[in-house]
Amino acid sequence: MSTMPPCGVLTPKDFKSELRPIWCPGCGDYSVLQAVYRALAAVNRPPHEIAFVSGIGCSSRIPGYTTAYGFNSVHGRALPIAQGIKMARPDLLVLAAGGDGDGFSIGGGHVAHAIRRNVDITYIVMDNQIYGLTKGQLSPTSARGTKTCTSRLGSLEQPVNPLLYVLGYGCAFVAQGTPADMPGLTAIIEEAIRYPGFALVNIQSPCVTYGEEDQLIKAHRARMTTLESLGHDPSDLIKAMDKAQHYGTELYTGVFYRNPEPPATFEGLAAERKQEMMKSAPPREKILDLFLQK
Amino acid sequence: MAQDAGTNVKGALGLPAKRTPILIKGNDAIVKGAILAGARSYFGYPITPASEIAETASRTASSGPGISLKQEGISYCAGAELPCVIATIMRGGPGLGNIAPEQSDYNQVVRIGGHGNYRTPVYAPASGQEMCDLTMAAFETADRYRTPVMIAADGFTGQMMEPVVFPDPIPALPEKDWATRADAATRRNLISSIFLEPDELEEHNRHLQRKYKEIEEKEVRFSEYMIDGAKLVVVGYGIVSRVLRTAVHLAREEGIPVGLLRPITLFPFPKKRLEELARQAKRMITFELSNGQMIEDVRLSIHDRIPVDFYGRMGGNVPSAEECLDVIRRAAKEGGTL
Repeated sequence: MSTMPPCGVLTPKDFKSELRPIWCPGCGDYSVLQAVYRALAAVNRPPHEIAFVSGIGCSSRIPGYTTAYGFNSVHGRALPIAQGIKMARPDLLVLAAGGDGDGFSIGGGHVAHAIRRNVDITYIVMDNQIYGLTKGQLSPTSARGTKTCTSRLGSLEQPVNPLLYVLGYGCAFVAQGTPADMPGLTAIIEEAIRYPGFALVNIQSPCVTYGEEDQLIKAHRARMTTLESLGHDPSDLIKAMDKAQHYGTELYTGVFYRNPEPPATFEGLAAERKQEMMKSAPPREKILDLFLQK
Repeated sequence: MAQDAGTNVKGALGLPAKRTPILIKGNDAIVKGAILAGARSYFGYPITPASEIAETASRTASSGPGISLKQEGISYCAGAELPCVIATIMRGGPGLGNIAPEQSDYNQVVRIGGHGNYRTPVYAPASGQEMCDLTMAAFETADRYRTPVMIAADGFTGQMMEPVVFPDPIPALPEKDWATRADAATRRNLISSIFLEPDELEEHNRHLQRKYKEIEEKEVRFSEYMIDGAKLVVVGYGIVSRVLRTAVHLAREEGIPVGLLRPITLFPFPKKRLEELARQAKRMITFELSNGQMIEDVRLSIHDRIPVDFYGRMGGNVPSAEECLDVIRRAAKEGGTL
């Protein structure tokens, strides 16, 4: 166990656990992990004040490689658990992470509700357009025509567009990154953590084993365009949606949308409601009596 | 005992106990029992006929289809040894079935519906009072053995209103040194159901089995009615046991030597007692609101020493006392020597 340094001098190393990642050599998730270490060091919260929740999949191994409190949950359920943690302990910094299958197939239904509640969670999706842990099947973000062991003749389905999906539900902070640009990736993760409300960071994290050629890091370097270089205004939802619709064809990185007036968080509203209710609440010793008689 | 609000301050809530009987629905009694046991959180999905539990308060409750959805999580909790209490108010099945009472989820609940080498203690209340009392017992059992515990009631017991006397709250359950509290001190506590090494997982599973064995030795609960000298033993739980009580009483008046055994815990099952009864009785009948699920446990308990008959209703129909009496009369006649 790494000893706790005094506040103010946390380094990326302080967030690194003794477990060695066992992703495939060259997997994009290694870079995501490095970026997470750096972003957490920049945010400077001690590891025990951080809850890092995941589902199931290659990328869902990530909490175990950090010194934060980890919760490797059930497939697709990272968000409900992360919301529960944040509600119970609003003082904690809560991160959720997983793959595109975990987040947009089996767990897809949870995304909408986490967003509309606006629980202050940073959701990091490592989007590789494939089910890697189970050895290469179609994922919700696989491009139409993708050939896998379960789609020999090519997928017939249109992929989910994670960016438009979350923007459609009113997500107040939406960004995309790639390991091809580590400073950029680290910066958006840090910004997402600091954003007061539900924030999505979709990371194009290539699968070296089952991914397509044009999804590898080298290809990203050639394909990527920073939104900043396009003069994109991240406070404009409509422009964000316009840029987001190119998911799958263009690789835009940076912040698509940042609501300049962060909406109220669920945990904040719940605390207010509680305070309000407490004003007219009967004395503590009467509560059970009343409850039992009701 | 008189109302003593304000003086008798005890329990997890630091609140006085309430001693006056209150007319209340079974489902509501579960909620109140949970609060008295110190429950601070509830996670549920409203599925009729369990919805009052979601509406009334804030443990987890559901019915048939909802419990099917929870099986993955229940297995994980068993593997990771996380205590929790899950109530199922059984309705008609399979599939959507209907919302009338059945006991057709016995196999799912008692034989476990999730994956892996685990069991869950199961309490089967038969009255409003037991909905409260056994919920409180379930919390203590879950905490003591670090295991998920189920409360399996039928839709009838869940929806029926009866007077309930609420007992004192349970004092706070013991602190857990294995818990994680999001502080620096407990950061090394690992709660997990994953053991990638076969030997490690085998050892973990052996540990779980030792725990279930201890539960089987210590936690069996059952009740009996007119069992002395019974040559015919009827077995039923939940609402069925209430009907059987009347039927047994009427049959005894006709001179039929019949008695009732009611399992209160479905796991652990009252095997030893049934085995003893199989020595004095010549025949047993299980009455269930299902296609005959508990009957297998009765047969296993008595090693098929004597014949076990089955009488069941399905679809939400509950047999009347007269109907059960007829079954008892027939069995007595066929049994010849009764």
